[in-house]
Amino acid sequence: MSTRERVLWIVAGIAIVIYALFPVGWIVSLSLKSSADIANGQFLPTSVSWENYTQILVGDAAELFLPALRNSFGIVLIATFIACVLSMFAAYAIARLNFRGKRLILSTALAVAIFPVISIVTPLYNLWRQIGLYDTWPGLIIPYLSLTLPLSIWTMSAFFREIPWEMEQAAQVDGATSWQAFRKVIVPLATPGVFTTAILAFFIAWNDFAYGISLTSTGAARPVPAALGLFSGASQFESPNGPIAAAAVIVTIPVVVLVLIFQRRIVAGLTNGAVKG
Amino acid sequence: MRRARWRRGLAAGVAAAALAGLAGCGGAPDGPPVLNWYTNPDDGGQAEIAAACTEASGGAYRIATSVLPRQAGEQRQQLVRRLAANDPSIDIMSIDPPYIPEFAEAGFLAPVPEDVAARTTEGVVNSAVEGASWDGELVTVPFWANTQLLWYRKADVAAAGLDMSSPVTWDQVIAAAQQSGKQIAAQGARAESMTVWLNALVESGGGEIITDPSPEAPEAIGLGLDSPAATKAAEIMKEVAGVAGPGFSTADEDQNSNAFQGDAAMFQVNWPFVWGKVNSAVEDGSVEQSVADDFGWALYPQVDPDTPSAPPYGGINLGVGAFSPNVDLAYQAAECIVSEENQKQYMLTNGNPAAKEAVFTDPEVLEQFPMAPLIEQSLQQAKPRPQTAYYSEVSESIQRNYHPSAGIDPAGVGPATAELIRAVLAKEQLL
Amino acid sequence: MTTTTERPGTGGAAPAPPEGTGTSDKARSEQRLGWMLAGPAFAIMLLVTAYPIAQAVYYSLFDYRLTDPANRSFAGLNNYLVVLTDEIWWISFGVTVFITVVTVAVELVLGFALALVMMNALKAIRPILRAAILIPYAVITVVSAFAWQYAFSLDSGFVNSWFSWLPGVTADTDWFGGTWSSLFVVCLAEIWKTTPFISLLLLAGLAQVPDVLQEAARVDGATWWQRMWKVTIPNMKAAIMVALLFRTLDAFRVFDTVFVMTGGANNTETVSFLAYRQTIDRLEIGLGSAVSVLLFLSVVVICVGFIKGFKVDLSQARGEK
Repeated sequence: MSTRERVLWIVAGIAIVIYALFPVGWIVSLSLKSSADIANGQFLPTSVSWENYTQILVGDAAELFLPALRNSFGIVLIATFIACVLSMFAAYAIARLNFRGKRLILSTALAVAIFPVISIVTPLYNLWRQIGLYDTWPGLIIPYLSLTLPLSIWTMSAFFREIPWEMEQAAQVDGATSWQAFRKVIVPLATPGVFTTAILAFFIAWNDFAYGISLTSTGAARPVPAALGLFSGASQFESPNGPIAAAAVIVTIPVVVLVLIFQRRIVAGLTNGAVKG
Repeated sequence: MRRARWRRGLAAGVAAAALAGLAGCGGAPDGPPVLNWYTNPDDGGQAEIAAACTEASGGAYRIATSVLPRQAGEQRQQLVRRLAANDPSIDIMSIDPPYIPEFAEAGFLAPVPEDVAARTTEGVVNSAVEGASWDGELVTVPFWANTQLLWYRKADVAAAGLDMSSPVTWDQVIAAAQQSGKQIAAQGARAESMTVWLNALVESGGGEIITDPSPEAPEAIGLGLDSPAATKAAEIMKEVAGVAGPGFSTADEDQNSNAFQGDAAMFQVNWPFVWGKVNSAVEDGSVEQSVADDFGWALYPQVDPDTPSAPPYGGINLGVGAFSPNVDLAYQAAECIVSEENQKQYMLTNGNPAAKEAVFTDPEVLEQFPMAPLIEQSLQQAKPRPQTAYYSEVSESIQRNYHPSAGIDPAGVGPATAELIRAVLAKEQLL
Repeated sequence: MTTTTERPGTGGAAPAPPEGTGTSDKARSEQRLGWMLAGPAFAIMLLVTAYPIAQAVYYSLFDYRLTDPANRSFAGLNNYLVVLTDEIWWISFGVTVFITVVTVAVELVLGFALALVMMNALKAIRPILRAAILIPYAVITVVSAFAWQYAFSLDSGFVNSWFSWLPGVTADTDWFGGTWSSLFVVCLAEIWKTTPFISLLLLAGLAQVPDVLQEAARVDGATWWQRMWKVTIPNMKAAIMVALLFRTLDAFRVFDTVFVMTGGANNTETVSFLAYRQTIDRLEIGLGSAVSVLLFLSVVVICVGFIKGFKVDLSQARGEK
């Protein structure tokens, strides 16, 4: 690679980093502006103020934000966990066993993934009202499963296909019990795939908005994206831009941390499930 | 393959346990009955009142508050959705007045006991009582009442030579702004505030948006949008759009108060929160004291020089949920919430005007809100928005057609909107 | 709905038992085990989607207002007639198609460029690029919508003061005051958020292009462009098609961004938003269900169209070899 080319690619790389971080930097900057400073017309705050964070963490909006944060974490983690466990079994069956209906399961997963959420939300809302799941944790966990299961099944089956299952038999031949063979040989091989799938499922459920605003109505189950629309300024007519920005930053922290730690795995998971070479 | 079987069983068990555990939590703790009060977002005032009334009840009940979304329309959605499912957990709700007929008509409100009605409407401004009623009957308890004033910058108005000592008309306001090269800040955004504005203009011109609410057959609704008053209202909206700021088509109450606090606008029609807002801006040093001193206030502009204006009426009234197991207690609590003392405190701390007349002559209130007598007068003159069980459809049809106001055809927009409303109510059109 | 490319034979990684009478017991137990393992996931997916869709189809045949359940009445296909003869449906449909076409087209080009840069970047900075590009993908759509909205808003934004040198942009430009400028910002936010997804799929496709072919073309004296068009792109057609399909389906369902940014003002309503407004806001369950069903059908048509029209091999997308 010539020096000129090398410089070119580096410049392009820097451009990508700016592209990706710019809006995030902006919302961080906005969250550090005091209410009087919000309309300063500049990217950066005139002086850094923590008032928006104090407002949502300990101030007036804390009663709104903290339960929402708890709901978001609880609901999303449980949904991710259930989705992973269920799709682990499904993916194992798909990757390992030969049975009729495999194609049907994969097709269903695909069909579910392309369903418009809005088409499901209204009937689901009617059903939830009737059976008492409206505005409860399970009332969101179940629809979140429909978001996360298809992706989890694809991604995990793609990972599981690459596991050399014959090693299990080889270990058994060497005298290991089947449980030992599974634990010592298969589990370490399968863990990265399961783990990656869990991260992707977490992202998807964390991102939900339509279910969040339609199937909840109080702090009992309302997740953060839905709660953002509920902040208020000093009076009902004043814009809550500052607190919204601060809350936006806080809900972005977990995903950024995940991205920074596991970027390699996430990329593998995203591309593995979608395009196989 | 035994292994796989027990794992499947384990997973199902964990999932079921997780779900059951979640569904199971939320059992009733011992102690006094809990009354759930769904409040609109504010500066924490309703939560304070809830705590004060819980205290005052001496253990008869405990009020827990739950916040609704910021937009009035979304507040209604949340409540209606729960009430349509006969939700018994809604005891008290803060309702924006235009939606009260819909709630009453659908049977979502427990009837107001006569004695409570008598006590809570005594000494209350006209518009608040009217806004809390449906079909000639009080169905909610008036809590606080809001109205818009005409705010002006004293220096600019003096320079333009406009005399503000007696009520002015929209034509005068527009002419003064044109002459000074300054803006009028009005709510041009596609939101509920647009209906608020149109209604005030139509009513001030002697007209009515709805002439016959006809709850029996919704599409038989009588509409006054083809009246001369409605045409005049549209003309005013269009003219104001010409002297409004660059962001007029997205301007809401808050943006307008910013434009007015800055130097761009010399007039604004807005709720009294602007006064609290400018004073706290002065306190934290982002706005000069001279700006707050330059604030002038007058009655909402008239359409016709000889007819008093009909300013917008807003605020919040308290409804008691029809499916609440504690209707009597809820009314007791509602009565406590709307006490004169609480209304006064709420006005002082949150800047939301009271519904009771006596509050406006309180010395503390007068000190903080020198325009309190004017607010009271404005509330006495104010007219509620069209009362109909289908308010949401009516208001959204209006917003669809009157926005953006700069581009409307004043003679055509009224009849076109009337047609849209009828088609929507007949379910012949989407919205 | 089973829109997949049917291929003979199943693709299990496990050695398939030879078809015969002797293995029927084993086959049966494997069949049972397969369903026992995959069944729960399958059942939940069906429950959460098939049932609601069936209910939506059912309700779409009724005149049903949530606050007035007593007057629910059968309306046949009238709701569909109302929707399809209404200008608003067609405007929303047009807006949705516009957003879909614009964002997917731009994302494809931009995503390809990003993939090329990542492919060619020095090993040392690759992790940085990978982490950076994943951030938009991971950020909540609503958060991204708020960020872009605030950046462009007259009150709190900086865009007008930064870009006032551009023709047509002044300190007073009201981006959310008109249809096209609002849609511009909506598309921008969507593109920012979802280009990384496309670019990662394309990166995987790029990696599949055999180096030998590239080398051969280079030896033959092909220019960079020629190699791109003649070697690289044809060899990653499958990856491009899968990326296109997924993003098109996703873009067509756009809801969050429009909801946050414009609330549907200035004719920026999308089909998803229209469905939301009829059911959740207007409480007309019947009409809203009809819009939902039509939205669902549109998505199915797009999906089938892609698969049949472009011969997208979804077996790749499903992780089936």
